[in-house]
Amino acid sequence: MKGVSRTELRITTILVSMVVGLVTVILCCCIFIFLNRYRSAMVQSARTSTAQAVSQVSNTVSNYLQDMDQAMSMVERSMLEDADNRDRMLTAFLIFRPDVVAVTSYSYSGQLLDCWCLDREPRETISQNLSFDLNRARSSGGAYMTAPHVETIFEEYYPWVVTMTTPLKPGNKAAWVSLDLSFSSISSYINNVSIGQRGYCFLMDKEGNIVYHPQQQLLYAGLKSEDTEALASLADGAYADDTVIYCLTSVADSDWRVVGVSYVDELVNRSVSEMIHLSAILAAVLLAAAVLTSWLLFRLLARPLRGLADAMERFETDADHFTYLSVGGTREIQELSGSFGHMVLRIQQLMATVREEEVNLRKTELKALQAQINPHFLYNTLDSIAWMCEQGRNADAVKMVHALARLFRISISKGHELIPIAKEIEHAESYLQIQKYRYKNQFTYQFDVDPACLDYYCNKITLQPIIENAINHGLDLLVDEGSITVQVCQDGDDIVFYVRDNGVGMSDELIHAILEQGPEDRTGIGIRNVNDRLKIYFGKQYGLHITSEPDVGTCVEIRMPKIQEGNYEAK
Amino acid sequence: MRRNRWAAAWAALLCVFLLGCGADTTYSEQHTVALIAKSTETEFWLSVFAGAEAAATEYNLKLTITGPETEEDYETQNQMVADAVAEGAQAIVFSAIDYENNAAAIDDAAKKGAKIVAIDSSVDSQAVSTYIGTDNYAAGQMAAQAALDRIVGTLRIGIVNYDMNSANGQERERGARDLFSSTGRAEVVAAINTLAEAGHAREDTAQMLADHPGINVLLAFNEPTSVGAAQAVEELGLSEDVFLVGFDSNVATVEGLQTGSVDALIVQNPYAMGYLGVESAYKLLSGQGTGLTAVVDTSTQIVDRDNLFSMDSQKALFAFESR
Repeated sequence: MKGVSRTELRITTILVSMVVGLVTVILCCCIFIFLNRYRSAMVQSARTSTAQAVSQVSNTVSNYLQDMDQAMSMVERSMLEDADNRDRMLTAFLIFRPDVVAVTSYSYSGQLLDCWCLDREPRETISQNLSFDLNRARSSGGAYMTAPHVETIFEEYYPWVVTMTTPLKPGNKAAWVSLDLSFSSISSYINNVSIGQRGYCFLMDKEGNIVYHPQQQLLYAGLKSEDTEALASLADGAYADDTVIYCLTSVADSDWRVVGVSYVDELVNRSVSEMIHLSAILAAVLLAAAVLTSWLLFRLLARPLRGLADAMERFETDADHFTYLSVGGTREIQELSGSFGHMVLRIQQLMATVREEEVNLRKTELKALQAQINPHFLYNTLDSIAWMCEQGRNADAVKMVHALARLFRISISKGHELIPIAKEIEHAESYLQIQKYRYKNQFTYQFDVDPACLDYYCNKITLQPIIENAINHGLDLLVDEGSITVQVCQDGDDIVFYVRDNGVGMSDELIHAILEQGPEDRTGIGIRNVNDRLKIYFGKQYGLHITSEPDVGTCVEIRMPKIQEGNYEAK
Repeated sequence: MRRNRWAAAWAALLCVFLLGCGADTTYSEQHTVALIAKSTETEFWLSVFAGAEAAATEYNLKLTITGPETEEDYETQNQMVADAVAEGAQAIVFSAIDYENNAAAIDDAAKKGAKIVAIDSSVDSQAVSTYIGTDNYAAGQMAAQAALDRIVGTLRIGIVNYDMNSANGQERERGARDLFSSTGRAEVVAAINTLAEAGHAREDTAQMLADHPGINVLLAFNEPTSVGAAQAVEELGLSEDVFLVGFDSNVATVEGLQTGSVDALIVQNPYAMGYLGVESAYKLLSGQGTGLTAVVDTSTQIVDRDNLFSMDSQKALFAFESR
C-alpha cells in the first residue's frame, strides 16, 4: 500500500509540475515579449512627447522673435517722423508694450543719441553698453539680434534683455536704432517647461553656445555640464540613448535652437517597472489558478480512485464483514464505484450460499455416518447383551441396555446440533461403557471434567468418533491394558477437550492424512467430519489438533469457543 | 494527508513569489524639506531660494522656506528648526547664524529623524550630512589677493565683518588675515563686527574710517556689510582713496563698482547652494545619501570694473528671475 501511495504521489507531483511549468514558460515568454514591445513603445512615446514639448518651446521663442520684428518695424516707422511725433509714438508704444525695456538710437560713430524709456534716464557715463556693438553693427549690414544680456545703461536697473539692432535709412541723423526686449518672459517660460519630472529645455545657438539654460548658475559653477558641442553637430530630431533623450529643434528665422532633455529613467523605466509589477501579479495569479486547477483535477480523479482501491483492499482482507460505502467523484468514478458495490454484494451472497451448502453437506455426512455405524454397532452390542443374558448376568445386561438407550437418545437429541457438554460427556461415557463390555475390559477410562464447563454447549457426537478411533486403532492392537482419559477444561474464552490414550500412536503422515486428505475408512471420516464441523461453525482457529508419539500414545485436542445456550442454534 | 502538505508547500511558494514581486516596486511619496536661511531679504538669499525651488520642482519635494528677520537672531532660527520638525519636515537645509548656539537645535532635530544639510554657513553638529557652500577661507584669501594685486605699496586694512559667531564670516576674515600677514606689506589697522544690515554697517564703517584715517583698503565680508561699507566710502568721498573689496551681488554694490566706491566683488554662487542643498536633501531622503561628499565647494568668482559685464559676470551677478 505504501508503495502504491508513493507512485501515486509522484504522478500527482509530475502532473502539477507539468501544468505549472508549462504555464510558467508560456507566461514568461508572453511577459518578455510584451515588456519588450511595451518598452520600445514607451521610448517612442517619450521621444514624441519630448519632441512635442520642444516644438512648443520653439514656437514660443519663434513668436517672441516675430513679435520683436513687428515691434522693430513699428520703431523704424516712428524714426521717419519728426522729433515730436516720434517721441509721442514711442512713448505710446512703450506704454503699450511693457516688455520693451528701452529703445535707443546711435550715430554713425556709435554714440548714443537718444534713449526712450519710461521713467528712466540713461546714466551719464556708461562704462559699457551691451545693447550696441559698433563693430558688429557695421559688419552685419542689416538687422541683427544679440544673445540675451544685461541692460547696462540705467542706474540700479539690470534686467536681462535681447537686443535687436537695425540700420536706418541714410539721411537720418541716427544710423542705427536698437530695441531692448525683456527676456524674462522667455526665461520664465523655459524655466517652467518640464518634460517628465526632471526633464527641461534650454536654448543654444548654432555653434553650441548656450543662450539660455534654466540651470545657468549650475553650469557656470561647473556643477553641471551640457555637451553642447556634440549637440550642435546633430540635425533636428530626437536622439535617445540609454538614459537620456535629446530633442533638437531650430527656431524659425533665427540661429537659435531649442534642446529638450528628458530622462528615459523616469519616463520609460518607471512605467515599464510598473508594467513588470503588474504582469508579475498577473503571472502569479495565473500560476495560482493553474496549481489550483490541477489540484482540483487530482482531487476529482485520483482521490476517489484511491478510495476505491482502499475499499477493495479492505474487502480482500475481510470479505465477510465488509460493508461498502460508495465513493463520490466524476460520473466515471461513480459508475466504477457502483459496479464494485454490486460485485461486493454478489460475492457476499455467493459466499453465504457456499457456507450454507457446506453445512448441509456435513450434516448429511454426519447422518450418513450415524446411519453407517448404527447397524454394525447395534448388532455387536445386542450380541453382547444377549450373551450376558445367557450367562445370567442380568444386572450387566440391564446396564448395557440403559447405556445403549442413552447413547441413541443423546445422538438424536431431538435433531439439535448443539447440546450441553454434560450430555456430550454422558454420551461418550455410555459409548465407552458399552465398548468396555465388548472389549472385555481390555482398557480402562476416566473422565476429568471441569464442572464449570458443563453448562456450555458443544456439537453433538464430537467425542465419540475420536474415542472410537482411539479404541480401534490405538488400543485394539495393544497387548497391555489400555487407558483412555477424557479431559474438559477452560482456556480463556475457549473450551478444550483432550482425549488421550496410551495406544500405539500415529505417524505424522497419518495424522496429516486423517485431518487433511480424503477419508480412508469409517473412523477417518468421523474425525474429519468433527474437524470440519467445528471449523465451519466456529472459524478456522477452532477444530482438532492431534499430537502423537508412536508406542507412547496419542492426544487429540478439540478446541471450540464457549457457547451459551441458543447462541448457535440458528445455524 | 500528504497531498495537503504539498498544496501548502505550493501555496507558500506562491506567497513568496508574490511578495518578491511586491517588494521590488516601491512608490516614492513626496518628501518634505525645510530650508531655514539666515535672512529672507537680501539678493543673496533670494537667489538661494530660487535654486532651492528649482531643485524642489525637479525632485518633486515639498519645500518650505523660512528665515529670521535679522541675521543675528539665532534663537528664532532654533525655534524655526523645532517648528519645521514638528510640522513633519524630513530634511532641513540649514544655514547657521551661530556656529555654536544653533548646534543643540540641530542635534535635537537630527534625533527626531530629520536629515541635516548645511549650506553657506555650517553648524557645530555631527548631524550635518554635508556642507554646501563657498570655501570661506579661500574666499577670504581671494578678497585679500584682489587688494594685494591692485595696490602697490603698503596696505592699511580695515575689516568690516558681521556677527562674531557666524562661522563663514570668521573663516573669510581668517583667510584674509593669513594672506595679508604672509606678505609683509599689509597691516590690519582696524576690524569691526557690525550688524548684517546696510544702515548699521554704513555707520560703523564711517566711524572706523574716521577713527583710522590711514586706511586704504576695506574688506567687507557679506552682502549687507558690503553695501553699508560702499555707502560710507561714497559719503565720505573716499572712492579714490579706499580700495573696497565686497562680497556678493547687490544692485548697490554693482552700482558702486561702476561709480568707484567698490573696487572688487567676491561673488558666490547662492543659486547653486540652494539647488545643491535641496538636491542633497533629496538624495539623503531617497536613500542615495552614501554618495554625498562631506564638503561641496560652490564656486566663487571675482568681479571688478574690467570684467563687470563679461558674460560670466553677468550670469553670476544678475539673476534671470524677474522679482
